[in-house]
Amino acid sequence: MTQQEKPNTNSRRFTKEILKGLVIANPVFVLVLGLCPTLAVTISIDNALGMSAGVIFVLLGSNLIISMLRRITPQLVRIPVYIVVIATFVTILSLVFEAYLPPLYESLGIYLALIVVNCIILGRAEAFASKNTILLSIADAIGIGIGFALSLIIVSFFREILGTGKLTVFGKTLFSIPVLSSDPLAFFIMPPGAFLVLGLLLALFRWLGVLKNE
Amino acid sequence: MNGNNEKRENTKLDEKLQDHGQKIKNGISPGERISRSRLYPLVFLTIIVLVSVSLVMVISNVTKARILAEKDAAIISQLKAVFTETDDYESKNDYYIAYTDKQVIGFAFIATGKGYGGEISIFVGLNTDFTIKDIKILSNTETPGLGTRITEDAFTVQFKGLSSQDISLAKDGGKIDAITGATISSKAVTDAVRKELEEKIEIIKSDMK
Repeated sequence: MTQQEKPNTNSRRFTKEILKGLVIANPVFVLVLGLCPTLAVTISIDNALGMSAGVIFVLLGSNLIISMLRRITPQLVRIPVYIVVIATFVTILSLVFEAYLPPLYESLGIYLALIVVNCIILGRAEAFASKNTILLSIADAIGIGIGFALSLIIVSFFREILGTGKLTVFGKTLFSIPVLSSDPLAFFIMPPGAFLVLGLLLALFRWLGVLKNE
Repeated sequence: MNGNNEKRENTKLDEKLQDHGQKIKNGISPGERISRSRLYPLVFLTIIVLVSVSLVMVISNVTKARILAEKDAAIISQLKAVFTETDDYESKNDYYIAYTDKQVIGFAFIATGKGYGGEISIFVGLNTDFTIKDIKILSNTETPGLGTRITEDAFTVQFKGLSSQDISLAKDGGKIDAITGATISSKAVTDAVRKELEEKIEIIKSDMK
């Protein structure tokens, strides 16, 4: 291996880790992790975007710190250490949201604080950041974070359109379906609608996966 | 010849043993010695927690003023929305007085109730005869689509003009109809408004004397 090739393969590994999170290790549709926020906050695209931003921030922070500390973290207390690191980032996030984005803070409600127990973040800490270099851990956080964001956006896209008949992003109505918006299928905004939409999407992704493997 | 060979091997072995002993004595770096200590996990976790707590305290101090300002701004904008004709207001310890041309036109306060999903914060505007002018839900963490419907006008409009004895759910003998599927949230709002109103009437009356 010559020296010129080395950064090249490193950056290839970096992009590989990012792409991994989007499709083959998509946290929601493939790993089936973090379903609680996926089901709960996906009543609107706005909520999905806010939640995703929060999760990406916490995931980046926790992966970075845990990867930095990986050589000196004692095995015995590694899980408490991960939880403390994650909880710190979540507390910072919720304070910042409360101060600068109060409407989003209101609409995410309890689910913002519950990022602490989001199994995607603890999962990445234990399965990836504690064993890999800082750079790769950042790539992993970006990939998994964006994968999570995409999943939330897809689920909330269907739920918002079916449940309210229109699509609103940051207070601007992008489009509305005439019949549906006057008489929306409110079922999709409620929790059972979340299960139905997520279940169908999971089935779709499994089916696509099966097709690809064959 | 044979003995010589044996001797040589013995010395080799001795050297190896000595080497090993040296390694055990000096070979462990100070860092390694610390990380092998029994107390190390405890110390490590303590340091992590201390760093975390100090970081959160710093951020909390930085954002505190801003959070309070946001809350105040929210209350004042509610005050203006409820008392459209008001031109001045005064903030007392735990309630607000709205004025028009230096005349008291009403009072306002915040009531908090315990809902299905957590705290519900309610802005209550009062007429000078202590009937409700209007209420607005400031914040809640109720179930989306069900409990969150307490924020809708269809629910809050029911409070308009009521005095404290009428503020309870219809099934408890009051005049407020609960939202279907969200009885706990409806009751939380109703009870919080009534209780806080009864307390505030006493306080305001004693202040006015």
